[in-house]
Amino acid sequence: MGLKNLFLGGKKEQEVIDKMKKHMGLLCSACTTLKAAIKNRDEDLLSNVSDLEREGDIVRREIVSSIYEGAFLPFLRPNICRFVEIVDNALDVTKDAAIEYTDLWLDEETKDDCARIADISAKMCEMLLVAFGTLSGPDDLREKSLAIRIYEKKIDEIKFDLIKRLRTKVTKNFWEGKILSDFIHDLTSTSDLIEDASDYLQIINISLR
Amino acid sequence: MKVEEVMNKKIEYIEPEATVYDAIERMVDKRIRSLLVNPKDEQDVYGLITVRDIVFKIINKNLNPGKIKVGEITSKPLVCVTKDMPIEHVMALMEKFNIARVIVCEEKKVGGIVSIFDVMAGSLIEKARGTRGA
Repeated sequence: MGLKNLFLGGKKEQEVIDKMKKHMGLLCSACTTLKAAIKNRDEDLLSNVSDLEREGDIVRREIVSSIYEGAFLPFLRPNICRFVEIVDNALDVTKDAAIEYTDLWLDEETKDDCARIADISAKMCEMLLVAFGTLSGPDDLREKSLAIRIYEKKIDEIKFDLIKRLRTKVTKNFWEGKILSDFIHDLTSTSDLIEDASDYLQIINISLR
Repeated sequence: MKVEEVMNKKIEYIEPEATVYDAIERMVDKRIRSLLVNPKDEQDVYGLITVRDIVFKIINKNLNPGKIKVGEITSKPLVCVTKDMPIEHVMALMEKFNIARVIVCEEKKVGGIVSIFDVMAGSLIEKARGTRGA
């Protein structure tokens, strides 16, 4: 039995893996919900993002507890915990972006760009789930990781144009500018963190060889 | 994967009377490799000027980019595709005409641009998603 099979291991390990998939699924839902909330200016959807983040916190605690109760070989545990923390951080910044958006009124062009960023983040998250599946399967993680980097590059391009345009925008007061700046930062941080999580998957994959 | 998923909606335009040097400046500032050239008049059509045109037709021939008009080296007519076209079809067109960019046309209007890099990225994403043959 190879180490890849050991990754799946017994019942405890399988439970953790299922919870990790659920955790990533929550991030995908948060990004998709944020996209719809930005597009339609929907306050209910914005508060749903916070609910998803809270649910994510619960799942993260369960995962970490299971790991400390003995799931996985000891040398794998720190990297798995770190991976889960990164996904959780991505959920946190997505929630922060949703909260900041409640106080913002964006022009159509900026709104479209922000919705596109949230949409690409959701696609990145779906790809992260697919990449995670390769740890226990025959598929190549490298190509999934490349797809995530391609998506991240697209977000960087949109962010670059967006920031350049927003620098010329006149804000009413300090707080309007601060909230807008924080919103763009948090919105674009989700994809950075998903990319980091994908890098951690590579590390886990190497340690399974 | 459809063209809509990979196309770039942000297009930079330039007038045919502008100099090639103006075009170079615009490309450097905006970090892009092509500009859409507006029609000269109502009878004219859109054209495209790329870094490749500038390097091969101007710089490599030691011509002065400040003295040559964009319209003189513009490629016309454009190869157009539709938003719902599969990217495999776009790849075939790019290979057939030996071009690296096609224009997305919507009812005689320009809706976006697709570069060979966009097609490659889209194709890799499709393969990673598992929706395209390995």
